[in-house]
Amino acid sequence: MSSRPRFWQYVVLILLAAVFLYPIWWALSSSFKPAADIISDPLSLSGPTLDNYRAMFADVPIGTGFANTALVLLVKGAMTMFFCPLAGYAFAKYRFPGKDLLFGLVLLTLMLPTLVLIIPLLLEMSALNWVNTYQALILPGSVDAFSIFWMRQTIAAIPDELLDAGRVDGASEFAIFARVVVPVIRPGLAALAVLTTMNIYNDFVWPVVAVNDEAHQTLQVVLATLAQDITANRIGADFATVWGELLAAGSIALLPLLIIFILLQRHFINGILAGSVKG
Amino acid sequence: MSTSSISRRSLLLGALSLAACAPGGTAAPTPSRLAAPSVTSSSPKGEITIWNRSGDLFKVFDAAIGKFRAAYPDVKVNHLSVDIGAKLANTLITGTDVPDGSFWDDANIGSQAEHLYDLTDLIAPYREQTAPYKLSVNTVEGRIYGVPWDLDPGLLWYREDLLAEASIDPASLTTYDDLLVASQKLKERDPKARPIHLDKNPFLGQLWLEMLANQQGTSMTDAQGRLRLDSEEYRRIFTWIQKAAKDKLVTHTPYLEPADLASIENGQQAFIPWAIWWSFAPQQLLKQTKGKWRPMPLPAWTPGGARSGVMGGSSFIIPAKAKNPQLAWLLYEFLCFKEPGIAAVYGPNSVYPGGLSTSIPSYLPALDPEKPLFKDDMGLWKVATEAARNIPPAAPIPAWWAKSVDYLGNNLQLLIEGKLSPDDVIAESSKKIQRNLIDRS
Amino acid sequence: MRKAPYLFIAPFLIVFAAFGAYPLAYAFQLSFTRWHGAGQARWVGLDNYLFLLTNPEFWESLANSAVMWLLVVPVQIVAGLAAAVLLANARLKLKSFFRVAFIAPFVTPLVAMAQVWIVIFDQDYGLVNYVLNADIGWLTSTTWSKPTLALLFLWKTTGFAIIILLAGLQAVPAQVYEAAALDGASRSRQFWSITMPLVRRSIAFLVVIQTLAVFQMFAEPFVVTEGGPYGSTTTAGLYLYDHILASDLGTGAANSFLLVLLVFVLSVVSVRLLRAKDE
Repeated sequence: MSSRPRFWQYVVLILLAAVFLYPIWWALSSSFKPAADIISDPLSLSGPTLDNYRAMFADVPIGTGFANTALVLLVKGAMTMFFCPLAGYAFAKYRFPGKDLLFGLVLLTLMLPTLVLIIPLLLEMSALNWVNTYQALILPGSVDAFSIFWMRQTIAAIPDELLDAGRVDGASEFAIFARVVVPVIRPGLAALAVLTTMNIYNDFVWPVVAVNDEAHQTLQVVLATLAQDITANRIGADFATVWGELLAAGSIALLPLLIIFILLQRHFINGILAGSVKG
Repeated sequence: MSTSSISRRSLLLGALSLAACAPGGTAAPTPSRLAAPSVTSSSPKGEITIWNRSGDLFKVFDAAIGKFRAAYPDVKVNHLSVDIGAKLANTLITGTDVPDGSFWDDANIGSQAEHLYDLTDLIAPYREQTAPYKLSVNTVEGRIYGVPWDLDPGLLWYREDLLAEASIDPASLTTYDDLLVASQKLKERDPKARPIHLDKNPFLGQLWLEMLANQQGTSMTDAQGRLRLDSEEYRRIFTWIQKAAKDKLVTHTPYLEPADLASIENGQQAFIPWAIWWSFAPQQLLKQTKGKWRPMPLPAWTPGGARSGVMGGSSFIIPAKAKNPQLAWLLYEFLCFKEPGIAAVYGPNSVYPGGLSTSIPSYLPALDPEKPLFKDDMGLWKVATEAARNIPPAAPIPAWWAKSVDYLGNNLQLLIEGKLSPDDVIAESSKKIQRNLIDRS
Repeated sequence: MRKAPYLFIAPFLIVFAAFGAYPLAYAFQLSFTRWHGAGQARWVGLDNYLFLLTNPEFWESLANSAVMWLLVVPVQIVAGLAAAVLLANARLKLKSFFRVAFIAPFVTPLVAMAQVWIVIFDQDYGLVNYVLNADIGWLTSTTWSKPTLALLFLWKTTGFAIIILLAGLQAVPAQVYEAAALDGASRSRQFWSITMPLVRRSIAFLVVIQTLAVFQMFAEPFVVTEGGPYGSTTTAGLYLYDHILASDLGTGAANSFLLVLLVFVLSVVSVRLLRAKDE
């Protein structure tokens, strides 16, 4: 199988890579073009200009969106990164009464469409007087089932002897987790970090519902509102300008994640390669 | 502009959060009735928060509110530009950060009455002078819940030059059949002509259909919420559409999107039966055919029938949980029923140097054909105010109206495309609206 | 030792009880009532379920999702496997570039890319029609709306599939192939008799994950097509949302549970089918 790759194999891979990258490149580069050129000559490169960005910043509170997303990401992300590996560890390496039942709960949660819970959750937020609060954005959906499941798979691969060696030293259960398990699953944790960041950053349906004041809008809510405003106002509006603003907003939203991903890509991919699909 | 853009997307949040009262919890409270402000103190005092839609209209109202403050110097107004379609319903129900008053599409008022102040007593003095259509869409079970703001009469926009070349006298277009004859004539002169605009956007198409129905004194449902699509009036409209499409007299494009604009500019379209707010196109968008468009009353469905109907519109509401409802009423009374207020909104201003000409007030004393509030070079004010006096009343708009676009609005498109017959449209739409919307409410 | 696993799982259980179990039970009870968000809920027994099961629109929404499934899953497995096989070659150059390129779309925010899709596939001024010199209603005709949406989904998630499959492939020790080659097995023979059985687990995992995702698909049609034209992209997830939109909350809840049941059955069936071949 490891014969030398043929020329055509490179061609196929390069073409495929182009298909995957081009829409991102097109959105980024077009956002710096004069609006009229986006429509009249979508393939060319012209400019660069910041006009689309200026217009977009004037229209939407994207700064507030970034700040709120950052806050939610920090708190919710920290909860996930701490509690999910811990729960995954319990499911992977302990025997205790009720384990199957509890793990069944995790699997069940995996299968629920988010939409099922939205109405009752909203009612709950209203009863708790949590509408328009950060806790409404952070708590529901934190410590999620997928991350626990993922961590269980990863930790299950650690040989028991390693843990037993820790126990002999008289370390506490938590100390074994912190000193033995965590170092071993570091690639898996990196993958989890990227996935979690991505999920929280891109989460859209719940934040849109849970928050209806501008002060708590997350980035995705700002984006969705912008798209909606633009579609609503595009009746009669100049198409080119509208698209320019959309592309500017889209680009600015995708850049941070793309940069984080490129910085962490090795860990992320190795983490998936190491941890996935053992069960 | 009164184009309400209720779509699946914009309703996301509004409708979702209708949920926010526990079922079986607090029973719907009897609506709070708002009484006239006690004018014991000579000058009312306080602070109100007012929501408005964003865009140019916000700037217009902002200036008008400035005039209000001059009249009531002790009332402080926080005028906010808000995505009302997405946020107001949520806010009304959760009761968090409720404004004292808000702009709202007429289509939403009927379904939200229980969260709004009953304004019947306050509006009573102006009732006789308000367009009957606007009162009817703001009325639920005999009580009024919105301060009627704009009136959006339907007009027939036509190409003056093309009609003159074909020696068609606009005054002779008194029925919709006349319109077909004239279109045929235009097409004989120019085989590329498809003179009549029928809209390709299902939502706007349905809004347009309701204008034609309103013209005949009917609407999708009656005051008791019963469906009345299966009627002579609707059949008349659908049969006319079918004929126009079959005879290839129709340009079927989405409202003022590029394809539409192109076919307007190249002379393919000559008749656009649409609300007054189409005025935006000749005033701001069109280049080649700028100055060639004129408005006239719509043709009638039957000889001597009404020459206009309403397409879209908005009002102002005061939430039952408002902190200063009486001051909000003072503001809306000023904007809707007082001469300086009306003039401030519709008259020349920094945004529209000629004045706001995409709708007219619904307060009839302001509609003097000889005393235009806004300036335009198409004779729009005179035509629109005369058409407005002709508009039949309607029924409250059902809560599920926007949702019915999936059935009626889509079927209307299929009719235009020749894929459904008038009877199909009526039967299909009625069946589905009844089963999926009315029976489930 | 006794208490430790429970302590480790406790955070998950607390969040689940408060923001999972409670709303779930609530939604279940709601599914037997007629309720519009205000006033008294009315008990209607199985009426909501019967309404859905006898309603052609419900079945159409499932059919739409089924078509989306057909457009997405087989293509993704075949293309993903092909790319993964090429990537698995140890002597391939530029390997990490390809991996990053393939998975980059996976980390882009959906709302932003959905808007880019709207712009790129616009009938009048979009890039695609410009390049093809065509006038195709990619998002506005019933013929093309599903494939165009499926393409967005494929573009976004195939990279992830490739990495998962790659993980499966790398579990195959190189010696196995060498032995097979010595026995004179042809390349294609090697693929079918060695590679396939070993990646079958990864494929099963992917099929389950993507079946869940396709049948719950909501954000893509919601942002890009709003379910149109003529309901052709009203997927099962979007149809469920339509009840909520019409504030017919009982029916919405009933629809959710029917969907959960369907997804559950589909997952079990696909796991069984892929496993059956093993024996």
